[in-house]
Amino acid sequence: MTASTLIANQIRPELGDFGSIVCFKAVVTGIEEALGEKAALIALIAAGRVRGKQLASALNIQSGMPLEQITSAMQGALGQAGTRLCVIDKIVMVDDAYQVFCRETICSSGEPQGSPRSLSYTMGALQGVLEIATGKRLRGAQVESVLRGSNHDVAEFKEY
Amino acid sequence: MGINSAKLGAVLQNFATGTSDVQGVALVTPDGLPLASSLPGGMDEERVSAMSAAMLSLGERIGTELTRGGIDRILVEGEDGYAILTSCGQDAVFLVLASKSAKQGVLMLEIKRAVSELKLLLI
Repeated sequence: MTASTLIANQIRPELGDFGSIVCFKAVVTGIEEALGEKAALIALIAAGRVRGKQLASALNIQSGMPLEQITSAMQGALGQAGTRLCVIDKIVMVDDAYQVFCRETICSSGEPQGSPRSLSYTMGALQGVLEIATGKRLRGAQVESVLRGSNHDVAEFKEY
Repeated sequence: MGINSAKLGAVLQNFATGTSDVQGVALVTPDGLPLASSLPGGMDEERVSAMSAAMLSLGERIGTELTRGGIDRILVEGEDGYAILTSCGQDAVFLVLASKSAKQGVLMLEIKRAVSELKLLLI
């Protein structure tokens, strides 16, 4: 088992290795309150990118791997069998952009319908993995949200 | 037309080599991604970029919350030198690292000139 797919109680013997979304959200909103939404967004995306790059390394993802293989590795590491950051249904190329279709993202969880909240840490984590997988510097944007009528949170990444 | 990274890099390089006491420069996007840089060895470009954008954003929030108005620049004065963050329009943040011996007036003037040049390349 890699470091990215911990599901057993390897770090905390009694409570297990998963924390609450409620606490995660409190961290996010607390940082936003202290630093402002924009600075918090930058910090969370940066943190996610670092995590994504670590994950790519742990999963032995390398530049030039087929997209199906990358998708499968990310699904395993971040989904139900992994750290449960989000469910990744698919990753597709649209023109020169990578679109990642996610559900149950930690960033959107617990938000009311119509909330303006966007992906932050999740976006960074996806970006970090894809940057290693493609060998490119990417810029991410959320193009669809489950909070605003879509079935998926869709993150789009383009080289810049 | 896309951003000309080579020209941005050349402007930064000229600034870094042509301005006395400047030790490093970086141009980053407002969301913290690197555009071009010439940084001292050992500094992680991506970390510097995220930090610079977050710092300027934090400065803007301080300007608003503490009624200081719009922010032109943030100056960090350390024991070993300066870090100056300057907004470069909507599209970029300009970071300059200078040694303690730098003359602030000259430095600010040079930064102003460089920002004008960089803004033209970012249109």
